[in-house]
Amino acid sequence: MPLTTLAKGEGAQFRLDGELTIFHAASLKDALIAALGEGGPALTIDLSGVDELDTAGVQLLLLVKREAARLGRALIYSGHSAAVISVLELLDLAGTLGDPLLIPNASR
Amino acid sequence: MDMEDARDALVQEARELLAAMEMALMQIEAEGASNEAINAIFRAAHTIKGSAGLFAFERIVSFTHIAESVLDKVRNGSLPLDANLLSLLLECGDYIGELVDAIAARRETEEPDPHRRGRLEVALNALLGVDSPAAAPLTVQSASTGSAQIEVEGEGASVSSDNWHLSLRFSPDVLRNGMDPLSFLRYLGTIGTIVHIVTLPDALPDALVMDPEACYLGFEIDFVSSADRQTIEGVFEFVREDSEIRILPPRGKIAEYITLIHELAEPAGRLGEILVKGGALTATELDTVLAQQAAEPVPAKPLGTLLVEQDKVPQAVVAAALTKQKQGEEKRTQEQKFIKVEVSKLDALIDLVGELVIAGAAANLVAHREKHTRFEEAARGISTLVEQIRDAALTLRMVPIGEVFQRFPRVVRDISRELGKEIQLLVTGADTELDKSMVEKLSDPLMHIVRNAMDHGIESTEARVMAGKPIEGTLRLNAYHESGSIVIEVSDDGRGLDRDRILGKAIERGLVSPDQPLSENEIFRLIFEPGFSTAEQVTNLSGRGVGMDVVKKNIEALRGEVEIVSRLGQGTTVRIRLPLTLAIIDGFQVMVGDSQFVIPLELVIECIDISSHDLRHNILKLRGEPLPFVRLRELFDLPDIEHVRESLVVVQYGQQRAGLVVDKLLGEFQAVIKPLGLLFGGVKGISGSTILGDGRVALILDVPHLVQRTMRASTALLSHQHEKLNR
Amino acid sequence: MGKTILIVDDSFSLRQTVGIALKSAGYEVVEASDGRDALGKLDGRKYNLIISDVNMPNMDGLSFVRAAKQLPNYKFTPIIMLTTEGDETKKQEGKAAGVRAWVLKPFQPPVLLDAVAKLVLP
Repeated sequence: MPLTTLAKGEGAQFRLDGELTIFHAASLKDALIAALGEGGPALTIDLSGVDELDTAGVQLLLLVKREAARLGRALIYSGHSAAVISVLELLDLAGTLGDPLLIPNASR
Repeated sequence: MDMEDARDALVQEARELLAAMEMALMQIEAEGASNEAINAIFRAAHTIKGSAGLFAFERIVSFTHIAESVLDKVRNGSLPLDANLLSLLLECGDYIGELVDAIAARRETEEPDPHRRGRLEVALNALLGVDSPAAAPLTVQSASTGSAQIEVEGEGASVSSDNWHLSLRFSPDVLRNGMDPLSFLRYLGTIGTIVHIVTLPDALPDALVMDPEACYLGFEIDFVSSADRQTIEGVFEFVREDSEIRILPPRGKIAEYITLIHELAEPAGRLGEILVKGGALTATELDTVLAQQAAEPVPAKPLGTLLVEQDKVPQAVVAAALTKQKQGEEKRTQEQKFIKVEVSKLDALIDLVGELVIAGAAANLVAHREKHTRFEEAARGISTLVEQIRDAALTLRMVPIGEVFQRFPRVVRDISRELGKEIQLLVTGADTELDKSMVEKLSDPLMHIVRNAMDHGIESTEARVMAGKPIEGTLRLNAYHESGSIVIEVSDDGRGLDRDRILGKAIERGLVSPDQPLSENEIFRLIFEPGFSTAEQVTNLSGRGVGMDVVKKNIEALRGEVEIVSRLGQGTTVRIRLPLTLAIIDGFQVMVGDSQFVIPLELVIECIDISSHDLRHNILKLRGEPLPFVRLRELFDLPDIEHVRESLVVVQYGQQRAGLVVDKLLGEFQAVIKPLGLLFGGVKGISGSTILGDGRVALILDVPHLVQRTMRASTALLSHQHEKLNR
Repeated sequence: MGKTILIVDDSFSLRQTVGIALKSAGYEVVEASDGRDALGKLDGRKYNLIISDVNMPNMDGLSFVRAAKQLPNYKFTPIIMLTTEGDETKKQEGKAAGVRAWVLKPFQPPVLLDAVAKLVLP
């Protein structure tokens, strides 16, 4: 479950791959919080490579989103994979974690 | 394997367990009680009960249950195992045996001997301190026990909503315990419809202290379902103990909502909003609730215990119906259809058969040398039988390949969904048998090939439409026997392999040099090279972890071979060829100098005297066709002998033929394959060894390797000549 | 993607029957005949669920579960334990080891399938 840095500084970009589950939650939390720390005012996390998402993963996405807001950073989740979308729909969290402006219907 | 077979297996297993139980009881009688023996008895009863429960064989379950309870007391030391109890347990074992016989005779609904059963139950219950047999609890928990609970109309006003309202606050440990609230919610979706859900992140603490493995989320759910309360509560049965699960029925009491709002940590106003938004309460009802709540705060009584009160499982009335039944005479008609045998025993048998084959060959040899006609005849008769025994022994380990194939319908369904492709799966030849040990090792490589075919082979729907193909792609699994091998094919009607692209990629990767002449087949085989991947885009499915090189390696470890046939735009077939068994082969014995070799007989096409042939450049013209060959003498560096009249054995593997030059042809021979020791492990061209009738060792030639090597050598030679001519 | 379930029970016929039921519900099934055998099958492959009996020869179910919980790849894997009426103390031990899902033996296949569906995401 690696977090990859695609671009640093201004408009930093990251990508999450594989399982976003409790098995990796501990290491991932640290990595994500660190990513928030080094990023600029706006950052994007690409979720297209996430093929499994559980409650622990959802909590992390919520936490990072909230933490970003607290730090005054604009955090956008993009490229939601099918696995992510199905969980967000189940929990009705598309509004919170969906960043729908950036995922037009056509891309699904 | 279906449920009927499983039922027979249950009978078989129960009989074995009863025998083990009896043996342990006898042992205790003779040598005194030991923990081990007591445990064995307990486990036997436990296992019989467990298996019988799967089939709802209630008679055996309820009886064994009482016996097991007694055994449990014995096991934890609260009941001494004296002579009386020993004989009681032996009698119980006998009676369980009768119940098992009844199952075997398909008469499980009849009590074999109600009177005897009653007597035994009284004796057992007396030991448990239970007076009446009717008090023995029946523990069968079947799916049908959940009966609709009638909501008793009580005092107090009800809300108008027709939805269930579920308020879920999971224990922080739930995730660590391996349970995911998401899966409960998904399950909920299978027994009704979630009309409204609010995920509450309020309990999520500060980033610094948040424990990523703890669960913080809460859920407020409005749910439409015709399921009864017990079923809905049952969804949360595994988390109910440490989580706060509140379930309010349709048209629930206002009072219950008051309690709900009162007890939850979230601010009352916020919860109220959620309830109204989800339709659990109307705005007016909420006002009533809030007003009442402010007026008369409800005592903090855990609502869970109040609402989650379950119906007591109806006490089972012990079947007292003393229906008279005739003992079934045809009880024994359903004799054991199969016996369970440890694989190690089977392997030992096959080893012995191997030795028998060798000993038989030795006897043949002696008979032949003695030139004793009647001895020879007798030896031949024995040989025929030994051959049949060998074949019969090997079939014991044969299983249909359907065992591997059966997982693919689901796999194909899931992957095609994931890929957004429409793919149908056709399975043929599922009855084709192969050695059990191979079945296990075949599963993973096949899975990989199938994934690869679906991911890279079959085109996207759009591309198929453009190509004028049916929208639905077809994936085919096929198996058949062919000259001592089993052939397994995975075919797709996809885009086919692009010869030029593969070659380009291989050159780019440095796997081949640009001027190397390669046949189409050889080019296709490049995709099995480590580190080769044609897909530009590495996808989730195939692009991860193992590559096709691992597939090839796995197949080769089974002495098999992979071959690819592909037509651009029309599809690809991956063909796996495996020997039927790993243990014994029919061989063709040859000699070079003093050394003996064995060639798998099914790969031998013909033998030719080559004294009259032109043998330049290791290529011979056979009936007008060039046939590359290799001299085993040169290959294995054996000493030269003068004036030897060489012969050539033509072998074929897959579609390719090659010749092997030897000194002497010795004829057919059954070879028991022994694994190669350290000494020969590294030698290419040898796949195993075998022991001859006279005790000497012969090496088994690795024909696939030799054919390939010979082909390569001749191609290289041809191109070399070609170059010379061009210069 | 196929979900894989490891079933640990010393009864061949129980494994077989449960195996048929699980396979027909679309799961892949790996069988182990006791705790020790099962531990050998925790070799890195992913299981979406482990179903284990309590009473088994060689290594019992609870020792197996405790061992599994030590392995990073399996520490959070859902576990269903098959238990009998008399196993109240075992249940307490199991609870301490982090087991919450119990299915009372004897059971019929639909009961187990139901329990499985509650713990494994489709």
